[in-house]
Amino acid sequence: MDVSQYLEIFLDETKEHLQSLNENLLVIEKEPENKDTINEIFRAAHSLKGMAGTMGFKRMQRLTHDMENIFSEIRNDKMTVTADLIDVLFQCLDALEGYLDIIQSTANEGENDNEAIINRLNEILQAGTAGGPAPAAAPAEAAPASAEAAAPAGGGSADQEKFRNIELTEEQKKAVLKADEGGLNLYGLSVYINTSCLLKAARAFLVLKAMEDFGEILVTNPSNQDLEDEKFDFDFSLYVMSSEPLDKLIEAAKGISEIENVVGAKVAPGELDKKPEAAAAPKEEAPKEEEKAEVAAPAPAAAPAAPAAPKAKAASEAPAQTANKPVVSRTVRVDIEKLDDLMNQVSELIIAKNSLVSISSTEENSAAQNQTFHEQIEYLERITTSLHESVMKVRMVPIESVVNRFPRMIRDLSKKLNKKMELYMSGEDTELDRTVIDEIGDPLMHLLRNSADHGLESAEIRKERGKPEVGSIWLTAYQEGNSVIIEVKDDGNGIDVEKVKQKGIERGIITPEQADNMSSKEIIDLLFLPSFSMAKQISDISGRGVGLDVVKSKIESLSGEVEVKSTQGEGSKFTIRLPLTLAIIQALMVEIGNEKYAISLGSIQTIEDVAYDDIKYVEAKEVINLRGTVIPLIRMDEILEVEPREEKPESLTVVIVKKGDRFAGLIIDNLMGQQEIVIKSLGKYIENNKVISGATILGDGEVALILDVNALI
Amino acid sequence: MDENTSRRKIGTTVTTKQYIVVNIGSERYGIDITYIDNIVRMQKITRVPKAQDYFKGVINLRGEVVPVMSVRVRMGLAPDEYTNTSRIIIIKLEQQGSIGLIVDEVQEVVTLDLNEIDRISRDNTSTESFINGIGKHEGQLISLLELQSVVAEKAVQ
Repeated sequence: MDVSQYLEIFLDETKEHLQSLNENLLVIEKEPENKDTINEIFRAAHSLKGMAGTMGFKRMQRLTHDMENIFSEIRNDKMTVTADLIDVLFQCLDALEGYLDIIQSTANEGENDNEAIINRLNEILQAGTAGGPAPAAAPAEAAPASAEAAAPAGGGSADQEKFRNIELTEEQKKAVLKADEGGLNLYGLSVYINTSCLLKAARAFLVLKAMEDFGEILVTNPSNQDLEDEKFDFDFSLYVMSSEPLDKLIEAAKGISEIENVVGAKVAPGELDKKPEAAAAPKEEAPKEEEKAEVAAPAPAAAPAAPAAPKAKAASEAPAQTANKPVVSRTVRVDIEKLDDLMNQVSELIIAKNSLVSISSTEENSAAQNQTFHEQIEYLERITTSLHESVMKVRMVPIESVVNRFPRMIRDLSKKLNKKMELYMSGEDTELDRTVIDEIGDPLMHLLRNSADHGLESAEIRKERGKPEVGSIWLTAYQEGNSVIIEVKDDGNGIDVEKVKQKGIERGIITPEQADNMSSKEIIDLLFLPSFSMAKQISDISGRGVGLDVVKSKIESLSGEVEVKSTQGEGSKFTIRLPLTLAIIQALMVEIGNEKYAISLGSIQTIEDVAYDDIKYVEAKEVINLRGTVIPLIRMDEILEVEPREEKPESLTVVIVKKGDRFAGLIIDNLMGQQEIVIKSLGKYIENNKVISGATILGDGEVALILDVNALI
Repeated sequence: MDENTSRRKIGTTVTTKQYIVVNIGSERYGIDITYIDNIVRMQKITRVPKAQDYFKGVINLRGEVVPVMSVRVRMGLAPDEYTNTSRIIIIKLEQQGSIGLIVDEVQEVVTLDLNEIDRISRDNTSTESFINGIGKHEGQLISLLELQSVVAEKAVQ
């Protein structure tokens, strides 16, 4: 069976299950008696196993199977949750993630059997249930028992062929006979859906859809309408006419997630009439017996302790087939509402286009026509703006998908470092562009590790200092204007400025004289320089000397910025500021000399007219006092080496820009207006000392450069 | 049989190379045609502040922003005087993106046999060389540009 088309769904769903396992294990670790969570874990492990089995990933299936055994015992109160067990289970999850990574890149699960982990699992299982009742003694036996409990479909195959109870109308029978003459086969199928499935109707729909690919669905029981309305238990039956072999149909149906089992048989048209007998005594006919054996064989696959021959064959074939396929494409799950919005706007766009067409086709060239023309252009502008917003929204992903793995990481770190710590997260629903989301994980992880490793003190020191024994790390995300802020804060030791200074001098990054003149903020910024690692000794958690500078360059490559605030003894706070969108921004177009430049609207505070008399001097630098704040002025024509204009204006036009809590006033010659611009890169050949962050193409085809305000301040 | 002919075909392409001949200053230069993406007329170049002096700025090439370099300044010749014959040659070196070279005039396309090309060994590393060979064509000499070194950043002193 070719399962590659389900690979994407499989990867998505497996990731979700793994995440929920991770989260729930964390809960269990704290509340070992929490029954609901144990049930949830069991369900997730069970679906994981089923999915892996369906996809033919045997190693993955085996591991999840053994995990499931454990959960089953816990659920039945035959075992208790121990710290040791949790550790092994977390290792299992890591191993599963490993499989998943390999599958994602090669569509194959790789060769790692993870024997060690499986052995550990079985040891624990045996130890935990040694005194327990007999059925749990041998783990291999416990498996079918638990699987059967979870899957009521595991009964005898005779009960399963419920399709034999379907009654066909005379017309349908005629159609069957006709089809039979045409060389089509009639198959009866009964589909059993996993009892934990929430969207039975959707799964049923998928099955029917898959079957339609092979042939014509004659009839379903319950009726199509009832299936759609979810008016059925966990099974349904159908007759399909198809020229494909039965195995293919069954495998296709099984490939759909949460389908527990599918049984089917070829039905000769003649058999339809004596249906009741066939159901009552199916062993009468010899040829049918054979077919049934074939059909019954895949059935135990639901109880994966004994994967039957055809199943195993499918499993070994599937990876071979998919191995050559290109690696899975990446997908985004989009809220249907967002798509509806998008559709609406596209409809509006078409209306606008039609009105423009009709205007251009009318002959007269009156003032009235001119006016409608302008109205339509304005309308078009509105639509494109909102269309842009909508498309951006579609690309937006909640930051949750990145940060939800951190609690687990902090738990592991806590064990490894032997420090007590707690992670508090908020604002997980803050949304960021998909490209940013993909990149932001590593830097955040670095910062969290930093906090855990260097920031937080050991419990003894914390006690001495009168702090709570358990250290706290906060991860906070929120939106501010056109950017998203992510803060990583800890209540640890803070950054030792003196030590950083010493290190900087030692490394030859700064001279002692320079060091004396540097503010503590400037010294802390040294941490972001390449190969500046503060760890006294290299640990595998942080401190390889590739820490903060990597964080900084990564975030800068996303056109964001990172800032540190630290108070010695109280903790430190890293603030990451990222732009909401990357490609298109609102900008203020200005003229400096005869050249046009764009300034991102996001960084502009106000625009001021400043009289020459208002310019004051501080340390021979020009400043203005704007409503109580002293703001340094930057003469843009000098910075950009533009030929200054001949005539001097009566007053200066100053654009006040802000970066973090710092301000600067950019002196420009002329304001041109606000515009939406598409950011283009200047390429790698040209140097510009960072005053220019990119370029854009204006309506007349001219290129205008975008000023990098962050570099100017 | 078929294989033989195709092999011979490949064989013949190796023995010749096509160059576009351009005038820069008083010299004739050849640019390997395989790297050339496009030749466009002079157009408004947007200056990029603080860039290397030989970068004249950027242009809009069908919606892409392409940096433009003055080969004259790069080679230490007198600055360009844009005339009616001035052209920007857009070259593309692998994945590194496009770059434009300003030349005084584009003359012709020549096909040089490999034995018409004298390779210059670049052993004297003290001075930067932008030429990797001299081509002889109809009694005239053509300096063949080494695009990699033209485009590469100046060595840091």
